Amino acid sequence: MILQGIAVSKGVVTGRAFVYEPFKPEITEHIINKEDIPESIKRYQEITALAGQELSTLRDKMKEIDEDKAGIFQAHQDILNDSAMGDEILSLIQTEYYSPEFAIETVYEKFIQILSSMDDDIIRERCADLKDVKNRILRLWMGVTSKDLSQIEEPAVVFAKDLLPSDTATLNKEKVLAIVTEVGGNTSHSAIIARSYEIPALLGIPGVMNEISEGDSIIVDALEGKLIISPSPKEAEAYIKKQKEYQDYMQNLKEYQGIEPYTKDGQRVSVCLNIGSVTDEELASAVFTDGVGLFRSEFLFMSGKELPSENQQFEVYKKAAETYGDRQVILRTLDIGGDKTLECMELPKEDNPFLGCRALRLCFRKTDLFKTQLRAALRAAVYGNLAIMFPMVGSMEDITKAKGCLQEAKDELKAEGIPYNEHIKVGIMIEIPAIALMADIIAKEVDFASIGTNDLCQYLMAVDRLNPDVAVYYQSYHPAMFKLISFVSEAFQKERKTLGICGEMGGDPMAAMVFLGLGIKKLSMVAPSIAGVKKMITKIDMVTAKAIAEKVIHMSTAFEIEEYLKTEFEKFM
Amino acid sequence: MYSKKVVIINKTGLHARPASEFVGAASKFKSDITVNKLDKDGNVSKSCPAKSIVFLLTLGLSKGTQIELSAEGSDEEEAVETLAALIESGFGDI
Repeated sequence: MILQGIAVSKGVVTGRAFVYEPFKPEITEHIINKEDIPESIKRYQEITALAGQELSTLRDKMKEIDEDKAGIFQAHQDILNDSAMGDEILSLIQTEYYSPEFAIETVYEKFIQILSSMDDDIIRERCADLKDVKNRILRLWMGVTSKDLSQIEEPAVVFAKDLLPSDTATLNKEKVLAIVTEVGGNTSHSAIIARSYEIPALLGIPGVMNEISEGDSIIVDALEGKLIISPSPKEAEAYIKKQKEYQDYMQNLKEYQGIEPYTKDGQRVSVCLNIGSVTDEELASAVFTDGVGLFRSEFLFMSGKELPSENQQFEVYKKAAETYGDRQVILRTLDIGGDKTLECMELPKEDNPFLGCRALRLCFRKTDLFKTQLRAALRAAVYGNLAIMFPMVGSMEDITKAKGCLQEAKDELKAEGIPYNEHIKVGIMIEIPAIALMADIIAKEVDFASIGTNDLCQYLMAVDRLNPDVAVYYQSYHPAMFKLISFVSEAFQKERKTLGICGEMGGDPMAAMVFLGLGIKKLSMVAPSIAGVKKMITKIDMVTAKAIAEKVIHMSTAFEIEEYLKTEFEKFM
Repeated sequence: MYSKKVVIINKTGLHARPASEFVGAASKFKSDITVNKLDKDGNVSKSCPAKSIVFLLTLGLSKGTQIELSAEGSDEEEAVETLAALIESGFGDI
């Protein structure tokens, strides 16, 4: 059985289920006699004191392990000793004759309700703390001894309806392989603690407790948010492999992500990032990359019902440029059409959209739209090293025309007295085979170029990359790809212009090995590929890379190339 | 009675650790201290006792919120000034 959950802490784990059902108080309305009030208050105070002692003990125990997590128990003590809540509880006992446990339940629930309705994640998550403290007091009230996650004996996957902060703080991380709960989300305590312990966690799977029994065989795929109960032997085997791959990947990440990439013989290779937005998460990788090799601007146009204004675009481009400072950020102008459509602009339906009016071709039709973007980019380039790159360039005329639009945008800004960068660098995407074959001539006309391997492959192979029926013909390791890229690289080296790779192949360490050998020293990729590519760079030297590339461009099939690269790759990795 | 207006500047607002610190500091004074949440026109929208962490959370004091601290009692001025300074320090969470 496969269930879907929210993967709040990543990882892949196989193991046995441990069902955790902690004490859950059930309180019903209970009214006491007037003469029992003094005794009830005395007991309430005793129980509160007892809960306080338990929390102190836990806090002190925790302090030795993890100072931060000890803070959870301090926060619980603050709640327990909250004078205003305490006064409300006492008042219910004294004036309404509530039994202490009913008064505690009533007051705590009241605040849990208030807090859970607030529109602030951090505050809402504090409900868990209130629930936790309430359960502790009521458990002591009923004289039940505590049961917690430090008592697990064999490593297991913990299943619970919900984990309260004190559960996650007391869990023995050596024994907890993963955490699965029915409730919770990305900001819940369970999620925060799971991440800090690096324990994979899947939260928010309603009803999972009814599906699971103690000792069941379990796969937790907290990469894709999947829980597999009693997997088939085939599934189990596949996941043991996936688990190993993930562990290797994480190991790479720790070791290589942050390093400065030099080959063994000292060649510095530029490793850049592909980004599709300017969220903090995307920009976080800025600290260990040499720039942005591909900044897709489409997200600005795809997210709303209206076209983004010049100022909106300016702010976004400026943010990216400022984040990278001196390092280059390459903004690709709007690449719409083909497989990408817009809500804010109606585009004609075409029989062959990939061969149709997309990207630059569309921008030439809608020059207002194009020029707005160019103006925003020119203005943002004052704040950092922002460069412009045109997609879907097929001819010299395309380059001339695009540059013409850029010049018009500059002239307008100049006339309006708006600051812009007159000397912005201009490059093109190489993805249409025709322009690749013109590399020797166009290299003179542009400041740089970047090879978009995905589209280059689809146009070179004449394969629609979205049509699964022809997927076998989409061969990115086809010798023609490497031959063509080799030709482009030579032309750009001759002109001393920068050539980068920004398609998926740029983040594929095996292909990247060949690109290095072909003299390409700039690779741009999505964040998760960085560590793997950097690792490859540190393990290879340029002589080996050249020899590998030389062999590859003389091979006759994609299969042959792939097998050869695998063998070479394993030799030194 | 003594009172003062301050703006919450720390990143996470007055919840979690900063809230605990605030309540801890407030509890050291003898005076009755009130936290008033102000709306954008400067009017009081909600109030609560400063010595209660749970009540304080219900005010939902996020970054940028303006509040008024007021106290009544023998150490009212010291209480308000101390707590205002604590909030203005940002709790090391800026």
